[in-house]
Amino acid sequence: MSDRPPPAPAATARRSRWAALTPGLVSAALVLALWAALAAIGDDPRRLPSPMLVLGRLWALAASGELWFHTGMTLARVLAAFAVAMVAGGALGLWMGRSATADRWLNPMLVVLLNLPALVVIVLCYIWIGLNETAAILSVALNKIPVVAVLLREAGRALSPDLDDMARVFGMRPLARLRHVVLPQLAPAIAAAARSGIALIWKIVLVVEFLGRSNGVGFKLHMHFSNFDVARVLAWALAFVVVMLLIDLMILRPWQDSANRWRQDAA
Amino acid sequence: MRLELAGKQFDGRPVLGPVTLELAPSQRVALLGPSGVGKTTLMRIIAGLDTRFQGTRQVPERLAMVFQEPNLLPWRTALQNITLPTGATPETARALLESVGLKGRDAAWPRQLSLGQQRRLALARAFAARPQILLMDEPFASLDADTAGRMLDLTARLLDDSGAGLVLVTHDPAEAAFLHAQPLRLRGNPATLGADDAGALPPHPRDI
Repeated sequence: MSDRPPPAPAATARRSRWAALTPGLVSAALVLALWAALAAIGDDPRRLPSPMLVLGRLWALAASGELWFHTGMTLARVLAAFAVAMVAGGALGLWMGRSATADRWLNPMLVVLLNLPALVVIVLCYIWIGLNETAAILSVALNKIPVVAVLLREAGRALSPDLDDMARVFGMRPLARLRHVVLPQLAPAIAAAARSGIALIWKIVLVVEFLGRSNGVGFKLHMHFSNFDVARVLAWALAFVVVMLLIDLMILRPWQDSANRWRQDAA
Repeated sequence: MRLELAGKQFDGRPVLGPVTLELAPSQRVALLGPSGVGKTTLMRIIAGLDTRFQGTRQVPERLAMVFQEPNLLPWRTALQNITLPTGATPETARALLESVGLKGRDAAWPRQLSLGQQRRLALARAFAARPQILLMDEPFASLDADTAGRMLDLTARLLDDSGAGLVLVTHDPAEAAFLHAQPLRLRGNPATLGADDAGALPPHPRDI
């Protein structure tokens, strides 16, 4: 038996998090090595530039300030569309999960929206609303709303009737009921919708910018595509992937962990 | 409290016949009867959880209920499980936690408590609502004899202290006797309420 005290729970959690990250970091390094090897063999920087060349472009973009402006614009659109989609899709899904009548009436529309190609929604929004920010954000949100609604509908159907009874007998106010009884039950579905949602949304935002905005990462991709500038296309893509990974690691995961605190076993 | 029930159907099938139940302040009654007779249905009507019945219902402003299961919020602490549903202050909640033998467990999550502790927490929550009438739906079922005995003691003490009325649903006449609740028996199909034929059953070993 060792007389060293067991590590504090926080330290253990930190260590297991690093242990969990290691395979990801190693596989990312392998992809980078493969990329470098292919670029060296191909020896055609216009088709496949080396990682060093792309990093150089990225550095230049960061130094000129262009990187921050355009990723900032894209990020703002991502967050706006994400917020609209989560609130509207969540409310819609919860309503459909709780009311069979609402489900019967709204389900056909949900199925249509789910199967409508993203591009069609985007083009129609630009034509009907105009080439402006409202159309851009609305078209992205419309692509995501049905996905959120379907996830939250299932969670809404599974809400505990016993806890509902408890809240009613004790006369809990609607807002308190939502916050303390309903939302914690929906948290796993909300987390799933948020994490899959943010990944889907930023991809669609780039298409929206590509087609009809004059700033943002999608707009820059459009420009570099016209000039066949693969190095800069990759630099922009890389920059935004890093931004989205940071959001997942620094915001979504910690939130999910804190929402799951009550599941811990230790007394 | 006064309930005048003309009848209650489930999908057209009558479950409860005419039932009149009247409770003076601090009065205690027990609804006895075999399982499936409609005791829980009657309880849900009294509690206001089932409003699809024929008849009238007048209840005092503050009701509280102890369910068959603890029905706690697993994602809120023991203390919050009292304060959030009832609006009781943390001080009141702590005093109640102490009186049900959960002193110092304020910050525990429900799943860290044993089933007996969870039920005592549910009891504390019910009294935190300062009920004029306490509704209990088979609260001692699925507990071992020891734990059930302690829960009964605790319930009797809290009822005496608060002066709350009681409607207890149970299949065990001894529980009703222990809490000094007037036994009423649900029987028939559709079920109606009548006085319990006392003495038909031997006293519960717990009371000897």
